[in-house]
Amino acid sequence: MISRRLIMGAGISLPLAACRPRTGGRLRVGVAFETLQTEYWVASFDIIRSELEKNNIETLEAISDGDANRQLEQIKSFVARRVDGVIVAPKDAHTVIPMIKAVNRRDIPIVIYNRPPAENPYKRVTVGTDNFGITRNTVQYLCQLARQTMPARAGKKHKALILMGDLGDINAIGRRDGFDAAVKENADIVEVVTRVPTEWNQEKALAGITNGLQAHPDISLVFTSSDFLLPSVVSALKNAGKFHPAGHPEHVLLGAFDGDSMAFRMLRDKTLDADGVQDAYAQSRLVVQSILAMRAGEKVNPLVLDPGLVVHQENLKETTSRMWGAQLVLQSERANRG
Amino acid sequence: MVEPAAGLDAHSPVPAIAPRITLSAWLRRVFASETWVLALSILYFLVLLPFAPDLGNLENLELIVHNMLPLCAVAIGQTLVLLTGGIDLSVTSIIALCSVGGAWSMTTWGLPGGLDFVVGSFVMLAIGAFVGWLNGMAITRLSMPPFMVTLATMMFGSGFAVYLTRSNGIPGLPHSLAVFSQEGIGPIPYALLVVAPVGILCHGFLGKTKAGRWLFAVGANGRAAQISGVPVKRVTLLAYGLCGVLAALSAVLYTGRLETGSPVLGQRVFLDVIGATVIGGTSLFGGRGSVLGTVYGVLFITLIDNSLNILGLSNFTILMIKGTVILFAALGDGLRRRRLGAGR
Repeated sequence: MISRRLIMGAGISLPLAACRPRTGGRLRVGVAFETLQTEYWVASFDIIRSELEKNNIETLEAISDGDANRQLEQIKSFVARRVDGVIVAPKDAHTVIPMIKAVNRRDIPIVIYNRPPAENPYKRVTVGTDNFGITRNTVQYLCQLARQTMPARAGKKHKALILMGDLGDINAIGRRDGFDAAVKENADIVEVVTRVPTEWNQEKALAGITNGLQAHPDISLVFTSSDFLLPSVVSALKNAGKFHPAGHPEHVLLGAFDGDSMAFRMLRDKTLDADGVQDAYAQSRLVVQSILAMRAGEKVNPLVLDPGLVVHQENLKETTSRMWGAQLVLQSERANRG
Repeated sequence: MVEPAAGLDAHSPVPAIAPRITLSAWLRRVFASETWVLALSILYFLVLLPFAPDLGNLENLELIVHNMLPLCAVAIGQTLVLLTGGIDLSVTSIIALCSVGGAWSMTTWGLPGGLDFVVGSFVMLAIGAFVGWLNGMAITRLSMPPFMVTLATMMFGSGFAVYLTRSNGIPGLPHSLAVFSQEGIGPIPYALLVVAPVGILCHGFLGKTKAGRWLFAVGANGRAAQISGVPVKRVTLLAYGLCGVLAALSAVLYTGRLETGSPVLGQRVFLDVIGATVIGGTSLFGGRGSVLGTVYGVLFITLIDNSLNILGLSNFTILMIKGTVILFAALGDGLRRRRLGAGR
């Protein structure tokens, strides 16, 4: 009986609750990230949130922990809560399409962050990274360094290893293709002997690079498609006795992608030669500007690619301010000193 | 000889005494039934409403119903298995395999519009039934522990789904699948028109049929059930088979929602499945539970998810809270079992 009364009570309270007005006059934007597993995603999430705050926009947050279905539920929940804009970092290019469709139904602006969706007819803006271009430039720089060492190698080609990401991820494909393009242009001095499909998994990366170094002990150039795999690379190189700073005769040329704090520390220690950096600050500004422009009914370019930058030993000082990982390190060092 | 009390004739009728139910007895009765989960859900909803007014938004309520449906299907299947004293860890990989298999058939067989959705859905159900049957056969014929069998199936199935697709999703699914999974007649989702009858059938099966009662008997005491003439192996096989089919039904709904066949679909749904069944009063030790309780459990889990999201809590916090709730539900299950055991 009591349960029945409770049900009836709830039945009365529901329509009342539905009639409640939204509090405050601030805009509300829902930010849904597929993961916060790596430092890049955490930094991006924080930067977007602070950028929204700067524009006096309330942020609703949702992390789906790699579950596309949960992310769809979260996006629909944003729509039900009548947000003024949605920012999504999706799991992949396909499962984001029903999310865009759901948001489009309510004519809410949506920006896809970092992972471009597959072709679809729905209205959205994508703010991404030129993965191909940044990786090609990074590997080009490594090849320049490799070329400088050629006289000492008596014409022997550098043997290269690449750690690839999840090849279902369009970003991982762009980075692999950028690597291949640069290597092709430098085929006279670099030969790829091992390709490790990591599926963005550190254990698989460690096993792959360890096996690669055992099969080809003369590997002298390594590129990882993400900085978050650097611990695996360092561990495998150390175990193989090949982890030395630049200038050491047995130094393995090392390149990476992202711009995280470990990459910055390694650049400072001269153990990393070059890092392709995604300019998370510029991207976050673009994301928020796009939402505001779409709300204002302005015409917005549907695909905005951040050209990023290559940070290396020679330009480290002047590029530190654009490297998000460097900022994290410097902030933490300042906090420790203070 | 006992003298009659003063004022009472030995032949006079005994005055009727109204049965008095004490509060503690009433609480015990409510706690022992599945209704308390529904009451808890409503109470939780009402308590949170002032802090999260969006929770009561009609569109949000519709969303809660939509979110419940696939979970309901797979959780009802798990209930059938738990009733026999087993567990099916492989439901997540069944969902992934069905999603990939169904999506592949829908996109490559070139069937005409409408038929592709129907045939693809039946392919999914067939895959689910097959994997469930395999689990049941290994458990009943090879006398292997359900935990090990379904763990192995889960690992193999997940790996196989990724292997088949090279971890790529399968897009381009029929529009009718998306319509079936995402839309409805007014506020009533089309999927409800399938999941609700399935739930009612399972409820009736457990309560009204001999085979349904055998499931309870097998879970309560398999040996005694066997001696009493219950075909324990056939009943167990049936439970795993139905569990596979119901996991496949949820795969149809999940796949339609994402409009993509995904080899990692449902990977993270297991906590919710077990949580919903245990919160709904299904015993992890077998022999006790109900479909209605599981539906209420699904409602509670979905409500927690939805409300904590609205409150702006991170996914990690939500997981911790859900884990704690499930732990308490399992603890309650253990306590009830001990009480029942003591009473026997």
